[in-house]
Amino acid sequence: MQKDFVKFENVYKRYRMGEVTITAADGVSFSIDEGEFAVVVGLSGAGKTTVLNILGGIDSCDEGRIMVGGKDISHLNQHDLASYRRYDIGFVFQFYNLIPNLTAKENVELATQICRESLDADTVLDSVGLSERKNNFPSQLSGGEQQRVSIARALAKKPKLLLCDEPTGALDYNTGKTILRLLQTKCTEDGMTVVLITHNSAITPMANRVIRMRSGRVISNVVNPHPLPIDEIEW
Amino acid sequence: MKRKKALRKNIAREISRTKSRFISIFAIIAISVGFFTGVKSACPSMMETARRYFEEQNLMDIQLISTVGFDDEDAETVRQMAGVSQVMPSYGADLMVREKDVDAAVKVMALPTNGGTINLPLLREGRMPEKGGECLMESYYAQLGDKKIGDTIVFSQAGDMLKHTEYQIVGIADSPMYVAYFRGNTNIGSGSIAFYIMVRPEEFLSERYTRLYVKTDQPKEKFEELSVQCLSRFRVTTYADAKTRLADARREYEKQKKTALQTIRDGEQKLHDGEQEFAQKMAEGQQKLTDGEKELADAKQQIADGTEEAEAKLADAKQQLADARQKYNEGQEQYQQGVTEYNAKIREGQKQLDTAQREFDRQHERFYSVTKPQTEQKLATLQTSINMVNDSIDRVQSAIHRLKNIGLIADEESLYAQLEAYREELAEYQKQYDDGMAQLAEGERQLNDAKAQLDTKKEEFAAQKKQGEKQLSDAKAQLDKAAEQLAAGESAYQTSMLTGMAELQAAQGKIAQGEKELAAGKEELQKQKEAALEQFKQAREQLAKGKYEAHVKLSEAEEQLSEAEDKLSLLEDAKWYVSDREDDQGYAGLSEDAQRVDKVAKVFPLFFLIVAALVCLTTMSRMVEERRTEIGTLKALGYSNAAISAKYLIYAGTAGISGCLVGGTAGVLTLPKIIVDTYGIMYTLPETKLVVAWDSFCLSSLVAVVCICLVALLACRHDLHMEPATLMRPKAPKPGKRILLEHITPLWSRLNFTSKVTARNLFRYKARFLMTVIGVAGCTALIVAGFGLRDSITVIGDLQYGELTRYDQVYALTEAETADRKAYLMAKFHRDDRLSETLLSYMGWCSVGSEASDVVLNPHIVVGENRSDFERMFVLRDRETHEPVALDDSGVVIDERMGEVLKVKKEDRIRVIIDEEPYEFRVSDITENYAGNFVYMTPAYYEAVTGRPVKYNAVIANVAASAKEQEHEIANDWMEEEDVMTVSLISEQVEAIMDTLDSLNVITFVMIFCAGLLAVVVLYNLTNINIAERVREIATIKVLGFYSMETANYIYRENIVLTLVGAAAGLLMGSMLSDFIVESIQMNNVMFAKNVTPFSYLMGFVLTFAFSMLVNFMMYFKMNRISMVESLKSIE
Repeated sequence: MQKDFVKFENVYKRYRMGEVTITAADGVSFSIDEGEFAVVVGLSGAGKTTVLNILGGIDSCDEGRIMVGGKDISHLNQHDLASYRRYDIGFVFQFYNLIPNLTAKENVELATQICRESLDADTVLDSVGLSERKNNFPSQLSGGEQQRVSIARALAKKPKLLLCDEPTGALDYNTGKTILRLLQTKCTEDGMTVVLITHNSAITPMANRVIRMRSGRVISNVVNPHPLPIDEIEW
Repeated sequence: MKRKKALRKNIAREISRTKSRFISIFAIIAISVGFFTGVKSACPSMMETARRYFEEQNLMDIQLISTVGFDDEDAETVRQMAGVSQVMPSYGADLMVREKDVDAAVKVMALPTNGGTINLPLLREGRMPEKGGECLMESYYAQLGDKKIGDTIVFSQAGDMLKHTEYQIVGIADSPMYVAYFRGNTNIGSGSIAFYIMVRPEEFLSERYTRLYVKTDQPKEKFEELSVQCLSRFRVTTYADAKTRLADARREYEKQKKTALQTIRDGEQKLHDGEQEFAQKMAEGQQKLTDGEKELADAKQQIADGTEEAEAKLADAKQQLADARQKYNEGQEQYQQGVTEYNAKIREGQKQLDTAQREFDRQHERFYSVTKPQTEQKLATLQTSINMVNDSIDRVQSAIHRLKNIGLIADEESLYAQLEAYREELAEYQKQYDDGMAQLAEGERQLNDAKAQLDTKKEEFAAQKKQGEKQLSDAKAQLDKAAEQLAAGESAYQTSMLTGMAELQAAQGKIAQGEKELAAGKEELQKQKEAALEQFKQAREQLAKGKYEAHVKLSEAEEQLSEAEDKLSLLEDAKWYVSDREDDQGYAGLSEDAQRVDKVAKVFPLFFLIVAALVCLTTMSRMVEERRTEIGTLKALGYSNAAISAKYLIYAGTAGISGCLVGGTAGVLTLPKIIVDTYGIMYTLPETKLVVAWDSFCLSSLVAVVCICLVALLACRHDLHMEPATLMRPKAPKPGKRILLEHITPLWSRLNFTSKVTARNLFRYKARFLMTVIGVAGCTALIVAGFGLRDSITVIGDLQYGELTRYDQVYALTEAETADRKAYLMAKFHRDDRLSETLLSYMGWCSVGSEASDVVLNPHIVVGENRSDFERMFVLRDRETHEPVALDDSGVVIDERMGEVLKVKKEDRIRVIIDEEPYEFRVSDITENYAGNFVYMTPAYYEAVTGRPVKYNAVIANVAASAKEQEHEIANDWMEEEDVMTVSLISEQVEAIMDTLDSLNVITFVMIFCAGLLAVVVLYNLTNINIAERVREIATIKVLGFYSMETANYIYRENIVLTLVGAAAGLLMGSMLSDFIVESIQMNNVMFAKNVTPFSYLMGFVLTFAFSMLVNFMMYFKMNRISMVESLKSIE
């Protein structure tokens, strides 16, 4: 397992909103080892989504350096960033962002068809427990199911890094737990490096690493040597 | 107030925030309204420009042309007529000029002067003519024929029409009488007028005015009535006068003719006398010359004889001389030989003599030096011996004697024997001595003998020599004498020869002299003869010339007289031709053209408005959808539905109204100018006067604004009826659905993933699908229709003049021709090799009506004398099947367009008025035809129906392939023929027709341009909405790692399919639209071909695609700019 698989070095991100400049990332530095289940936790506006977006290659930083698997991604051009997203990153959103006009399977295929080595759509959907709902459109699926499709879509690309932005934010407690369990399983069983952001500190015990953020800064980066299974956590 | 202010602010912000949406509504409205108003304004602008032009230049209402001209009284009569405000008498004449090596007919018109203000020319350059010999040139030809101010127009023969034959151009101007470029026909030259010029009226020599221009509100029929009155007055006054004058002229002519003929006869007699005298004198002179020649010949003969004799003598003398010389030469030779022989002999003699001498001398010397001394010595010795012996004897004797004496002598006998021996010896010696002495003497004697001999010989030799010398000198003397004689002979010969020669020369000199004199005599005679002949020739020529001139003058006079008599007879049925403005092709064509533009203007903008409304609907729906939460909030806050919808109404209204204003202004400012200017190429009009079609503008604006406002209301109506709470919740994205296609498994399973996605997306947004397809289809249809219109137009020329009308020229014959005359003329036409086919025919105008229609057409009626020739020149066939249409004796064949207009089918009957007589014809068939209306029939049918024989009045001709270049020349040649009145060249007609139709091209291009604009706006707008609606989806696939191009293709693929479907539908619509347009703009006498070429369809398709690609290209950047972070933020 590669150490410092993900490494942020003094990353700044500023947004200009009219005359006000908001510093969303204010010298962020941290690192995550390969195969870790990392949770970035903080309040709304702490800059965790910004960090995740920069890490996922859908946003750029103003200063600093981001290394992923030994590759500097902070200065890639548009096309290289697209390649980076395509081959290295799997993204799971709070609102799933499934293509409403495609069935569950097709949504997964949308991802697999652009990758060189992808997993079979059916297999992935089976693995997330959606064997029965493959041919349903997103509108015919529950939130949890949609999120599972979303995760399946992310995993199908065999990414190096799975990024999850509040994946349970729009789900009820139990469904959220199921999703988190799925993610934890993927990490522990398949060795997938997962970075999950949440405002819910309660789920931090399940992580290998907990990064706390406030006002665009990392205030702590703690390794949890004994993560708990999600079922043992209650909130 | 406050509320309103907030709302206003909201609207202002909305507009500035959604600029592209606002602009697209604005643009589509602007294009539609602008196009409609612009095209609609073209017709009134054109009409107004023309109207003003006619008004300002005071174009006549009625033009009167009389076959006999007008006088002031006629003018006054017209002026007195009720409703006539102005009358202006004027002149006009058609004359020939030589232009660019071609004879061209020119119309010369009088300028309005002396208070006349009708038909004022519009001066464009230079000044008005101020004196004779100056003219104004029309602007069209000034440009076409490169005529400038200062150039002169030279008439081939101004004849008795004008004062001058040369007119200098002092200004370029246009007459309102000629707005189109057709200058009319004439009966001179090739039959068509090339251009017109205007000169001052006093330049015309004509006593009577040739035309009257009238300003009036009365119809032309009134003037036709008036003409009867004026003409009857003319008959009593002018005509009677003329008759008397003509009779006087005829008498005068006959008198002069008689005198002239007498003069000619006298001249001829004189010439004849002179010629006879001359012949006699010539004979005498010739005789003298012959005598002289004979004498000379005799003298020559004598000389020749004398010369011969003298020559013979001389030859003898010469022979003798030659003989003498030969003899002399022989003598000379003998003499020489003698000399040689003599010399040899002498030399030989001398030599012998010398030898003898030498021998003698030698002998002599030997004798005296050797023999004699020796002998003498011997002798001396001998003497001595003798003496001794003697002594001895003596002693012995003595001794003996002694002895004897003594007597010793014993032996005396022995001593005596010895003495005896001594004595004998002595005797011997003595004898020897004697011998010697004798020998010596002998020798001496011999010597002397020899000497004597020698001397004799010498003497002999000398004598011989002398004799020889004498002989030689005798011979020499003889020779010299002979030489002398010879020289004398030669000299004598020479002398006689020289003398002979001199004599000969003298004689020859005399002969030469004689010959010279003779030649001089001959020459003199010849000269005299020639001079005389020349004189005769001149005299004869003069006479002939005089005779010819006299005849010409006489025949001219005769012609003039008979012409005048003809005219006079014509005067009896003198006629006025009354024409009004509508009779002028140009005037009528102008308004027809304008109306045609108007018709096109009616069709297209409607299309535009429909598409615009559809686009607005989609746009507004989208806008309301986006503002769903806002509507909910406002509703929740307690705003009334009206207040909330006001925002959208105002938004749409503002876009609509500003679009109307801007589009209308732009349309009015550009399109009428473009269109009128294009037509302006065909018409001579002043600067375009812009007339805004306010009604059209208001109408289209109203429709557009009302439409868009309705659309806005319609769009928000749905949302306004919902609960605020529902509205504030995000609208659930349209759920995905299986589409029909998926159930067709074999097809669906074959589609690849992206195709499936595209297919499903397409059917997901049905409204937008429909909208796009309609918009694109409209665009394609417009382009196809535009090109189709062009096809319909261009094909007319190809089909009509390439396939149907197969003749080149029409010769109109003068009326009142006898059958003989026509037969003669046709024979002459047949003989012209440059014409491959000729057809005698009747061609005239008639008016045709039918039961089914109120329209009355004025087609050509064509009756061909010969059916096979007719069929070669007029191709009658069915348009669709191309089956030939038979023309038989049972009915007429009419053209297809006439059938359409009059609603007449096969077997129907048509009412035809020919020469004011009504008839009914049966339509036996209908033929394909594009330009003009025609009624074809056989002579038999014509005669059967009308009961009158066919009055053939035209010859239709085909120019042979080899003579195509000379078409005009042929026409000019035939115009010389007095029976040929005018010639129409089909090629010129084609040009004129094609010019008219070409102007429709501009409309085509305006259409295509606007269609392009429409396509771009529609596609841009719809794609824009498409992207806006699916921005989340696009962001998602970007996050998944789609590259820019892949992302763009995701949307493009749908656009391409939409464009394909739209374009395909558009091709169909275009075909219909094209038909519709052609239908609505075609004229009564022109049938537009309803066939759109594959090229036009292709262009419609390709251009639509190009526009679609342009939009896609613009969208690429927009899609690239979509921010993933922004788009994927939690749903508001």
